[in-house]
Amino acid sequence: MSTVAFTPTPLNPSFNSHKFVRTKPNRFSLQSKAIVTSDPFVLELAETLEDSLPSSTAPLQKLREASSESLLSTPWPSRRDEPFRFTDLSFLRYSNILPVSQHPPTTTLPAADSTSFLSLNIADGHPVTPLSNSSQLPQGVYVGTLSALASTPIIDRVMELMCAFDAGDLFWSINGVGAPDATVVYVPEGCRVETPIYLRYLAVEGGAEGSKTMRMSNPRVVVVVEKGAEVGIIEEFSAAEEGNDCYWTNSALEAVVGEGAKLTHSYIQNQSSSSAHIKWTSIRQESSSTYELTEISTGGKLGRHNLHIQQLGPDTVTELSTLHLSVGDQTQDLHSSLVLDHPRGYSRQLHKCIVAHSKGQAVFDGNIKVNRYAQQTDAGQLTRSLLLEPRASINVKPNLQIVADDVKCSHGAAISDLEESQLLYFRARGIDPKSARRVLIFAFGGEVIEKLPYPSIRERVRSQIKSLLDPSPK
Amino acid sequence: MGLLSLTFHPSPAFNPSIFTLPPHRCHRPSSLAVRATSAAGTPQPLLQVNDLRAKILESGVEILHGVNLTVNEGEVHAIMGKNGSGKSTFAKVLVGHPDYEVTGGSVVFKGENLLEMEPEERSLAGLFMSFQSPVEIPGVSNDEFLVMAYNARRRKLGLPELGPLECFSYLMEKLQLVNMKPDFLNRNVNEGFSGGERKRNEILQLAVLGADLAILDEIDSGLDVDALRDVANAVNRIRAPKNSLMMITHYRRILDLLNPTHVHVMDKGKIARTGDISIVETIETEGYETVAALT
Repeated sequence: MSTVAFTPTPLNPSFNSHKFVRTKPNRFSLQSKAIVTSDPFVLELAETLEDSLPSSTAPLQKLREASSESLLSTPWPSRRDEPFRFTDLSFLRYSNILPVSQHPPTTTLPAADSTSFLSLNIADGHPVTPLSNSSQLPQGVYVGTLSALASTPIIDRVMELMCAFDAGDLFWSINGVGAPDATVVYVPEGCRVETPIYLRYLAVEGGAEGSKTMRMSNPRVVVVVEKGAEVGIIEEFSAAEEGNDCYWTNSALEAVVGEGAKLTHSYIQNQSSSSAHIKWTSIRQESSSTYELTEISTGGKLGRHNLHIQQLGPDTVTELSTLHLSVGDQTQDLHSSLVLDHPRGYSRQLHKCIVAHSKGQAVFDGNIKVNRYAQQTDAGQLTRSLLLEPRASINVKPNLQIVADDVKCSHGAAISDLEESQLLYFRARGIDPKSARRVLIFAFGGEVIEKLPYPSIRERVRSQIKSLLDPSPK
Repeated sequence: MGLLSLTFHPSPAFNPSIFTLPPHRCHRPSSLAVRATSAAGTPQPLLQVNDLRAKILESGVEILHGVNLTVNEGEVHAIMGKNGSGKSTFAKVLVGHPDYEVTGGSVVFKGENLLEMEPEERSLAGLFMSFQSPVEIPGVSNDEFLVMAYNARRRKLGLPELGPLECFSYLMEKLQLVNMKPDFLNRNVNEGFSGGERKRNEILQLAVLGADLAILDEIDSGLDVDALRDVANAVNRIRAPKNSLMMITHYRRILDLLNPTHVHVMDKGKIARTGDISIVETIETEGYETVAALT
């Protein structure tokens, strides 16, 4: 993959005057410098995307430029590219992709369902302020749009982070070009945010079921958890209402977890079965920080999560748990990479998936790099899959690359149907095999659901998974 | 054979909960309440095994070479024998373990052809086996499992299913019967259980579900003296007079606690010798080889 190296520089006021050059057909100012491998499809996509956006706001200008530069040198991925070897993007490729309207949709959005969260709706990529229960926000914490952010030091901090990640792919760049604004979560040093922040991504616009039109949105979130601070973030992706089911959510979240800080991240994806959901999560962990992720993905015709975690200092703790469920003609894909460059990192990754449909598919590529200085790393990775139907498929590629010599690493992969001995145990107590299977399949996923830190969300996810696995109870 | 299984219906005589009559099943025909082993009536056969042969499905190795055994209502049978003689295989074949294939013979349980039934049907018909090494079921709590099993039984009897709360008091009662703490219910089925806890859990299931014939496969192995006494007391407490018991064991201690009416010695996939408790003395002094050879 060709990426363009980019050196982050402090925000320079001169950027304000730097206009995005728009001279057709060479729309992008930086195109002349880019390697000319532009894919016409990608070019066209970039153009429509750019047309849909208002003239760039200053803070995002730099991101857009950097993103468009790499975008133009990156072709649409094919099955020949390793990261997409098992993930077929052709249904997106042959859709008529239109950006969502530039103004936040006026549809009445569902209100926050409880007072136990600070909730913020992000409709078609546009953060819809205000935040609910904002009185519960501790002093100095900011949750809102980048464009409305007044504090220059925070803007600088966000910008520094925003342009630092260079391992993204085409979709990361598309998001960088197409994000209308960014949602910023900023937690200052030593601050513990008791109430979790609930980001509700809603797809509002969409093509009708069966139509070839996909409406694309590019939500972007930046999270900064400063030294010793602590915050919980829930990302939930769903549709605002049924009917407009053909949409493509191309989301990105990047976060830095400061020294000794902790970020608890829950990610729930239950978008419609004809939608595409592509997400990037890029995390940078400073020394002694903790990052915990629990992902439950059940929706979309295509669900792809690219998770990248970079260790910036020693003694980090990283816990990743994922449950993927394919109950229809759909693909769930997790590509994760954890890069350890410092001593005494601790990481645990659990990936579980259930493919319960003959056209269902799951993909897992989990890479852990234990580099030269990452001595005394303790890294564990386990992937377990249930294949419940003939022709259902799963491709897993757990991989550890270990350079350091004093480490404890383990990985395991298991793909199977349910255990016969467990089924027999139920049957020997008079329980019919169908009910036994249902309970066992649910219990398999339960291990990940249990890790969701908030009871109300855990319960909701539990019943949602139950109904997906068993659409007609009794 | 097919007809037998097709005519299988719950009848007044069918009562899987005989061990412990739930309050809603108090009205049993009085004729059935007669102790089967009483001198007055002829004992009713519960299980009739005739020339049963079975092999391991995967390897095709034949393990049972013609087992003959009749268990009447109210009897307590013990099956002994050296390792590999086929005791556990016999028990597993009776409950329909999928690893084995029956190659010959017949098994009639309560007048029905047992071999035609699925494992869950055998359980619902009133046959229970405690597993020698019960499997762990992560993610399924003990109470969820027991409620499911108990409701499956109630469904079979045409009774309304009970909600978790209604079930709870019933389960608590049974917990006390087997001398176990309530937190046992919240734990996942057998997950992280000690050997003793697993055995107790099997007995708890027996107490909750009841059985006309309970097969205890080495329920005494791995138990210390106190735990063994607890388990045996629980079995004695939950057993109604008409119920039968078949225990597979290597040790005398549990026999002294459960007082078998019949003791069988298995050898090379057959029952080589049958007698009363006195046979155990001979085994202890002379070993299985000699006892089995006496036939």
